[in-house]
Amino acid sequence: MNTTATDVMQKKRRLTPGWTQNFTLIFKSIAKKKGGLIGSIFIAIMLLCAIAAPWLAPFDPNEQNIVQRFAGPGLPHLLGTDYLGRDTLSRIIYGCRIAVLVAFGAVSISSIFGVFLGVVAGYNEGKKFDYFIIWLFDIVRSFPQIILALAIVAVLGPSLVNVVIALAFTAFPFYGRIARAQTLFVKETDYVKAAQAMGQKPIKIIIKHITPNILAPVIVCLGMDMATMVIWESGLSFLGLGVRPPTASWGIMLRNGYKYIQVSPWTIVWPSLAIAFSMIAFSLFSDGLRVALDPKERNR
Amino acid sequence: MLKYSFKRVLWVFPTLIGVLLLLFSLTYFLPGDPATAILGPRATPELIEELNSRLHLDRSMPVRLGYYLKGIVQGDLGTSVWSGHSVSSLMAEALGHTAILAVTTLAVAAVIGIILGAFGAIRQDTPISGVVTIISLMGVALPDFVAALLLMLVFCVKIPIFPAIGAGEGFWDIIMHLILPATALGIGWVGYLARLTHESMVDVLEADYIRTARAFAIPQKSIAYVYALKNAIIPTITVLGLGVGKLLGGAVFVEIIFSRPGLGKLIVDAVYARDFPVLQGGILIATVLFVLANLVADISYGFVNPQIQYD
Repeated sequence: MNTTATDVMQKKRRLTPGWTQNFTLIFKSIAKKKGGLIGSIFIAIMLLCAIAAPWLAPFDPNEQNIVQRFAGPGLPHLLGTDYLGRDTLSRIIYGCRIAVLVAFGAVSISSIFGVFLGVVAGYNEGKKFDYFIIWLFDIVRSFPQIILALAIVAVLGPSLVNVVIALAFTAFPFYGRIARAQTLFVKETDYVKAAQAMGQKPIKIIIKHITPNILAPVIVCLGMDMATMVIWESGLSFLGLGVRPPTASWGIMLRNGYKYIQVSPWTIVWPSLAIAFSMIAFSLFSDGLRVALDPKERNR
Repeated sequence: MLKYSFKRVLWVFPTLIGVLLLLFSLTYFLPGDPATAILGPRATPELIEELNSRLHLDRSMPVRLGYYLKGIVQGDLGTSVWSGHSVSSLMAEALGHTAILAVTTLAVAAVIGIILGAFGAIRQDTPISGVVTIISLMGVALPDFVAALLLMLVFCVKIPIFPAIGAGEGFWDIIMHLILPATALGIGWVGYLARLTHESMVDVLEADYIRTARAFAIPQKSIAYVYALKNAIIPTITVLGLGVGKLLGGAVFVEIIFSRPGLGKLIVDAVYARDFPVLQGGILIATVLFVLANLVADISYGFVNPQIQYD
C-alpha cells in the first residue's frame, strides 16, 4: 500500500509542469494582453539598461564637462547635461541600475522574511509565537512607511545598502499578513491534513506543501511593491538620505534639478520621465501578473 | 461587530507600546556614542557631557527607558537639542500646516473623484471613463514628489502664478500656497477614489432595489444620484479616513519641495540636524495619528457595511 502511494506521487511529480514551464505559461498569459505586453517590454528595457549600462551609455555618467553645463537636448548630449556638465542620458541609464537593484533587493528581502514569518505564524495559529509575530507586524505597520524608512536611514546613515534594508524593513509585515492569512486557509486543506497524518515534520509541510500554494497573492504584491520601492528610493535620494552622490540615481538627479530649477528645466524633466516610465511599467506588468495568476480571469 | 470593535481598540495599546519601544531603541542603534553622533566630531567633551546628562544618555538602558516613558505619559516629548524649544510646541505648530494640506487635498480629491466615478458609471457612453483612466494613470506614473517638482517647474518658474515656498498668511494667501502641494498630493487620490466609486456604483446600479425603483418609474436621475450614490460612496468615504492618516505622515516630500513648515518637513529637518528628540517626537505623533486613522477606518467600515463578517 505504502509503495503504491509513493509510486503514484512520483508519477504525478513527473506529470506536473516544472518551474520553467510554469514560468513560460504565466509569461505567455501576461503577454497576451496589451497592457501586460507593454509592461513586460518596458521592464525588459529597464533590465537591459541596468545590465548593459556601460555599453549603452554614450558617456561616462560621472565625466564632468563644466563648459557644457546645463546644455539643452541636442548633440552630442542627446538629453542635455546637468550642473556639472555630466551627460543626462548616461546618468538616466545608469540610474536604472540603482532603481532595479533597490526594487529587486528590497522586495526580495522583505518578501522572503515576511512570507517565512507569516507562514510559520499561520501554521502555529493561536500559539504565543503567532501572537508575537502579529504584534511585530502590527508595530511596523503602525508607522507611515516613508517615515519609518526615514528614521532607519537617519540612524544607519545614508547608503545604497541601508536604503535597501530600510525599505525592506518597512514592507515585510505586508507580505507576512498575506502569507499568514493564506496559510490559515491552506493548512485546513486535505493535502496538508494528509501530509500531517503521514507524520511529516512541520518544517517539511511548511516548505513543501504550504509555501508553494500561498505564493500567488504574494507574487502579485511583489509587482506593485517594486514600483513603490523605486519611488521611495528616488524620494530618499531626493532628500539626500538615500544613495550617495555622485552615484547616478534618478532621485539624486531630481535633487540637483530642484536646486537649479530656475536655470535648467531639463534636469528635472528627464528623471521625472524615467520614474514615470518605470511606474507605468511595473503597474502594467503587475496588473498582467494578477490576471495571469487568477484562474478565474486568465481565460477571459 | 461590537466585539470586533472592542478587540480592535484594545489591540492598539500593545501595538503603541511596541512603537514606543522601537522609537526608543532608535538612539540605541546609532553607531558609536549617541552624543557624538548628534553633536558631530567637533563637539567638546563638556558639550557631550552636557548633552548626555540632558538626554539621560549617561544612564543605564532601563533607566533611560523609564525616563522616556515617564515623559510620554506626562505629555512631555522632550526638547530640541539645537533650538531648545519643547518638541510638543514644535509639533503643535507643524501639525496645523500638515492637517490643512491633508484635509484640503482629500476633500477636493473626494469631490472630484466621486463626481467622475459616479458620472462615468451612470453614463457609460460618455468619455468620462477615459478621463478617469488617464487621471489614474497619471496618479500611478507621477509619485507626489515628481508631480510637485513638475508643477513647481511649470507654475512657479516658467509661468509664475503660484507661490513656490512657505505656507502663507491670511486666507487667500494660504489658499494660494495650498493649490500646488494639494494638486501634487491629490492626483493619485482622485484616480483612486474615482475608480473606487465607479466600481461600487456599477455594482449598486445592478442591485435589486434599484431595479425595483425603476419599476416604480422613479426618474432615472434621482435613482442614480439619490438612491444609488448614497450606497455607492460608502467604500469611498471609509477610505478617506485612512487617507487623512496616510497624508499626515506622507506629505514629507511635498512639504520639503514647497518648504511648508509641516510635520514631514520637521521630521526631515530633524534627520538632517540629527535632532533625535524632535525626530522621535515627530515620528511618534505621525504614527499615533496613522494608527488612529486606521482604527477609525476599520471600525467604521464594519459599521457602514454590515455584509462584512468578522469572527
